[in-house]
Amino acid sequence: MPTSATNNRPEDLILRLSSPENQTKFKALRELKNQIIGNRTKKLTYVKFGVVVPAVVNSLSSSDSSVIIQASAVIGSFACGVDAGVKAVLDAGAFSLLLGLVSHSDAKVVDAAARSLKIIYQSKLAPKYDFLSKENMGFLISLLDSESENLTGLGATIITHSCQIIAEQKVLYEAGILKKLLDLLQGSLSQRDASLEALAAVSRNNPDVSSEFSEANDGRAFRVVCELMKDKHPRTRLLASMCLIALWNTSPCHLQDVGLRSKLIHILVELLDDPGQVGDEAPFALSSLIAGKEDLQKLAFEADVIDKMSKHLKKDPLPAKRLQGIFLALADVCSKLEVCRANLLSLEVLKLVAEALNHDCSEVRIAACMCLRSVSRSVKNLSAGMFMNDLIVIPLIKLLNDASTAVQIAALSALCNVVVEFTTRKSIFLQYGGVKQLVHLSTSMDSTVRLNAVRALKNLIFLAEKQLKGEIFLELSPATLWSLICDHESSVQEQAICFVRNLVDGCVDSIEYIFTEEAIILHAIVRLLRNTSSPEVCIQGMYVLANVATGNEFHKEAVLQQLLPPGGSDDPFVLIKLLQSNDNRLRTATVWTVVNLTFPSSPGAYGRLVKLRNAGVYTLIKNMANDSCLDVKLRVKTAWLQSVAFCDNST
Amino acid sequence: MSIFWVVRQLAYIQESMATSKKVITKEEWERKLNDVKIRKEDMNKLVMNFLVTEGYVDAAEKFRSESGTEPDIDLATITDRMAVKKAVQCGNVEDAIEKVNDLNPEILDTNPQLFFHLQQQRLIELIRNGKIEEALEFAQEELAPRGEENQSFLEELERTVALLAFEDVSNCPVGELLDISQRLKTASEVNAAILTSQSHEKDPKLPSLLKMLIWAQNQLDEKASYPRINDLSSAKLEDPAI
Repeated sequence: MPTSATNNRPEDLILRLSSPENQTKFKALRELKNQIIGNRTKKLTYVKFGVVVPAVVNSLSSSDSSVIIQASAVIGSFACGVDAGVKAVLDAGAFSLLLGLVSHSDAKVVDAAARSLKIIYQSKLAPKYDFLSKENMGFLISLLDSESENLTGLGATIITHSCQIIAEQKVLYEAGILKKLLDLLQGSLSQRDASLEALAAVSRNNPDVSSEFSEANDGRAFRVVCELMKDKHPRTRLLASMCLIALWNTSPCHLQDVGLRSKLIHILVELLDDPGQVGDEAPFALSSLIAGKEDLQKLAFEADVIDKMSKHLKKDPLPAKRLQGIFLALADVCSKLEVCRANLLSLEVLKLVAEALNHDCSEVRIAACMCLRSVSRSVKNLSAGMFMNDLIVIPLIKLLNDASTAVQIAALSALCNVVVEFTTRKSIFLQYGGVKQLVHLSTSMDSTVRLNAVRALKNLIFLAEKQLKGEIFLELSPATLWSLICDHESSVQEQAICFVRNLVDGCVDSIEYIFTEEAIILHAIVRLLRNTSSPEVCIQGMYVLANVATGNEFHKEAVLQQLLPPGGSDDPFVLIKLLQSNDNRLRTATVWTVVNLTFPSSPGAYGRLVKLRNAGVYTLIKNMANDSCLDVKLRVKTAWLQSVAFCDNST
Repeated sequence: MSIFWVVRQLAYIQESMATSKKVITKEEWERKLNDVKIRKEDMNKLVMNFLVTEGYVDAAEKFRSESGTEPDIDLATITDRMAVKKAVQCGNVEDAIEKVNDLNPEILDTNPQLFFHLQQQRLIELIRNGKIEEALEFAQEELAPRGEENQSFLEELERTVALLAFEDVSNCPVGELLDISQRLKTASEVNAAILTSQSHEKDPKLPSLLKMLIWAQNQLDEKASYPRINDLSSAKLEDPAI
């Protein structure tokens, strides 16, 4: 019987929800339940009627079991798949009431309460369960020991939700939870699934629990999980795979079997075809399986993963979650191997990536940036100017303005690659206002944004044409550059100095930039060379000096003066200190500077050589003739030969 | 009971697959079949599995008392499940949805596709009953938001609403939506979802066994001439073709 329109009015329903009559209340709750189950829109509408959820939560304290059961079901439905719903039921105090009902005398009430709690625990918004409390652990164990599926499911879901750090894994392990979860693997479908998720949570990043798990019952538990990877239920296959991936990422020794790895890849790719949640989650699992592992990326490539995921991308509009997952998995598979990048580009996916940069959902935009970052690691395609075009550059520059910092950072990290290109197209970037944006972000309060912005500028200016260099420098201004060199984060200092290194590289005119505004930039760099403890910063700083020392007499003298101040100082000369560094790269850079300062064809070379010798530089260099680093050895030889040539000429 | 012959035939074929093509007489075949041991308990379990999955609760009850075979599911839940199935088959979809939600409120909240199909069936029933205004309102209120969430739902919704555009729906391109088979399809989808939520297989084992028999016999045909079972209802052994 369709209910009449007047009865359907929310105001009327609210009134009946608060009725003192149990029967009226029961009917109203059941009606509400049937309206909201499966219906996101209605859930949100009722949540907005601030009074509805509290009225339902109040009914949990009813004396009538059937009212409590309906109220629990309504609360569970509000919390199912809608964050605003979870928040509303938590704010209304449903959580502690439901926990109390788990010990109710009526088994049906217990079941209903446990089911709703389980749904709440599936949300990130649920409060964290404190495993360290003895009382809580006792309750958890009683849940897992129960006969009821909803109670064991609740126990496992609590673990999946709240077990995050080693200390929690340890206390759960010591309480014998691992064994209980392994026992649940033998249970019903829902118990098995819940147990697989919880097992992944207790063993993730914990080598001790992982090896206990792998070796439990002579490896039988591990084999059961491997079997479940082939189960006929897609969700079980996914969860078993994720459990194995968690194990494997923790202690790779347990998954030596190459066959098992490619089977995992095949299963995950197959699960992409699932139209529901499983298909949405499969690419994330794939991503965690192959991230950072070149051998697995190769296996994935051989399993045609790129082709299959590209086909999915080309289908009808995909849900945001799935798009995000696929782009992330593509980013991972293309992160190291050129064949993979070539494969992806040949499938004409780049256009889809570019489209996704404009997606409504910020997670998708981030994932598309990650994918672009991986693909644009291809030097071959960078050289061909594959990425420096309207299709890619316009949306990327737009993302630099994004409201989300995470999106900005992702866009910057993609840009860092895209702007390294060797054709004359870099000016496109300037034309679209990209430089202005990067300069703006280089003054951000967020150090990661600052770092990536400077890194992008550094890459942009690398081998840039003279005119472009000038425009970038002008936009950035010496004062901003100076403040970046003096940043409190050494990683930002390093990138900023490397920017200068690329700026003054190449033609002699470019070197002049470092002397603008009374050489504040040069002085800042030398000050860092004296004071910093970061070898990375010193390396870049020394290369700046090496580049400046390739210039004219004035440039060379300025460098020497910075390295060996004529007035002398209390500190030993910075040049002497850096020649004795433990860092091979830093020694190489320092000797390079000496080589450039004493390059024989320049008129003042002899004078500088004498000053260097008097400072004791050549005594050190002579001792470095057998340096353990081949690069250093080679430069030392050049420096020595140059000095000997002068001695021969002068005698 | 013919299931027994089917199972025995299948078990034996699997054993004899390895041998090369030859003619096997009926006597020889029967003698060999007699050596195949099938446990009666297993046969009973197969039958019980069929009755339970298909929802023949009375038959299952009788079979339990006669054979002592325990069903792997609480028989009371079968009654509820059958009531849901029957409601859909009769076109009382709203009633069916309420029953599913009483049985387990998680089912429709976590199966958007099933929920959509039930709502779609509700729309079809409204159209069938000529309640055009109500149908339009329902499509707008309940189904359109689902279509916004999922592209394939939107396409199905458009197809369903197209029913309203034709005067003679029985002859229109989407007329099959009004067929009784559409109800059966939806009913069996709900049935399967309830079974899965009860951690039970959604299909009985017996039909797959029959499919396996046909497949195995086809495989063996290439290797031997033997007494086949052609009529699955009687499971009678035919004389081998020579």
